[in-house]
Amino acid sequence: MPNINMIQTNQLTKIIGGKELVKDVNIHVRKGEIYGFLGPNGAGKTTVMKMITNLWKPTYGTIELFGKVLTPTSYEVLKRMASIIEFPCFYEHMSGRENLELHCEYMGYHTPGSVENALKLLGLLEAGEQQVKKYSLGMKQRLGIARAILCRPELLVLDEPTNGLDPAGMKQLRDLFKMLCTEYGITIIISSHILSEVESIADTIGIIAHGRMMREISMQEISEINTAYIELAVTDTKAAAYVLDDKLELKNFKVIDAHHIRIYDDQIQISALSKGLALNDIAIDFIGRKSERLEDYFLKITEEGERL
Amino acid sequence: MIKLIRLEWRKNNNLKYIQYAGIMTVILLLFMIMMARELEAEETIALYGKGMLDSSVELFAHMSYIIFTGVMIAAVLVSAYEKKTINLMFSYPIKRSTIILAKVCAVWIFNFLAMVVSKIVIYLVLIATKSFTGITAESIPVGDALFLLNIVLKSAAMVSISFIALPIGLKMKSSKATIVASVIIACLTQGNIGSATLVNNIPFYVILFIAVAVSIYLSVYNIETKDLL
Repeated sequence: MPNINMIQTNQLTKIIGGKELVKDVNIHVRKGEIYGFLGPNGAGKTTVMKMITNLWKPTYGTIELFGKVLTPTSYEVLKRMASIIEFPCFYEHMSGRENLELHCEYMGYHTPGSVENALKLLGLLEAGEQQVKKYSLGMKQRLGIARAILCRPELLVLDEPTNGLDPAGMKQLRDLFKMLCTEYGITIIISSHILSEVESIADTIGIIAHGRMMREISMQEISEINTAYIELAVTDTKAAAYVLDDKLELKNFKVIDAHHIRIYDDQIQISALSKGLALNDIAIDFIGRKSERLEDYFLKITEEGERL
Repeated sequence: MIKLIRLEWRKNNNLKYIQYAGIMTVILLLFMIMMARELEAEETIALYGKGMLDSSVELFAHMSYIIFTGVMIAAVLVSAYEKKTINLMFSYPIKRSTIILAKVCAVWIFNFLAMVVSKIVIYLVLIATKSFTGITAESIPVGDALFLLNIVLKSAAMVSISFIALPIGLKMKSSKATIVASVIIACLTQGNIGSATLVNNIPFYVILFIAVAVSIYLSVYNIETKDLL
């Protein structure tokens, strides 16, 4: 994958009314990838996306899109990108098709059949003639995506795009995003607080918590580090933690609850671990290797954010 | 700019506003016919002068259209902020000030043309119904260039004055506030308390035009660098 950054933010900070919404956010979205922008509600995802789409201006820091610094008058870059921030807005008295045609007029995009194609891709061909005010929330969301991809942008900025969709609709969109990325080379940044939504399609994950960028990591790296751990169920976690730390000299473990400990050390063997615990009179109810999903990784990182 | 104005008309369903303007013209017309009939027009004109009839038409048309323009400002400009469709507009590769000015022009041109057409239609129908209203063509010199120029200039002035409501609506992000402001503007500029009126008060109109210029300037001032909250 080429190492060209489609989006790069440098120390991006936004302060409104004396409140720091985001601080020193550095994002690097490479060309042709799907970037999952994860964070709990209120973490600052939408703030960052509004600044990337030029709706909000940074208080400090800079944004580079397509290698050029974004300024308040960077109108040309807007031709090359499309976005959905929060909920997509439409002219509700007009039909879905009319809304898309209007979008083409404003974008100066006049490829024949593009509206039909976009409606077809999102399964809205039949509903296209209906007024948007008669659409369900999910249909509006799909129409928003149809509008976003209509003019074949190079970059798609999507803020929680699957809000209001049922699981089947979510899957359909995930497949669509993957297809847009692989077949059309569209770079996509997609924010979400639903991890499973991003986990299966993202190439890189950026995690934001409390307005701070906590980690930016490729999915491949996530699968390589921290994904495997040993789950230990004991009756006395305090004593077990002491043995792990003091006797077995293991530092990378976490007490989950009163009976469970997770050991993040891929060097140690289960047999050696159980032997070491048994020799120190720790009763083991269960011991086994498990793999950590993105969800666990995400929670671990956001917890770090809370401690900052 | 012309394309943007056309698109504004298209998406704001201009046909609907043409119908509303038509209905308003018919109501104004019926009101004027009934009033002319009631006052036995030619006798009243003889008593108060020829200007009496056209100033009545102008007064009611101005009041109606100042409020009508306010409604359109609310629908085309202020509600774009309320319904957040302006976020979509500002995501297009077009200067934000151009987008706002296109909306202003779309409302201004529509209302100016509608007001001129309304007035001319009212005058023509009043003449056509002279047997009923008692008005003669001499009282309403529709063919006179000065008379027509007067219609055009006053219509342009009144539609422009309506835009004082724009920054109020934008500041409060409220369509209702825009319409209430336009009603107040209509009452202030066209109403009277006893014999006191500001209808032909030149300094007052000069102040209003300055206010209009400031209003439109304020609505686009710094717009490129402002956050869209």
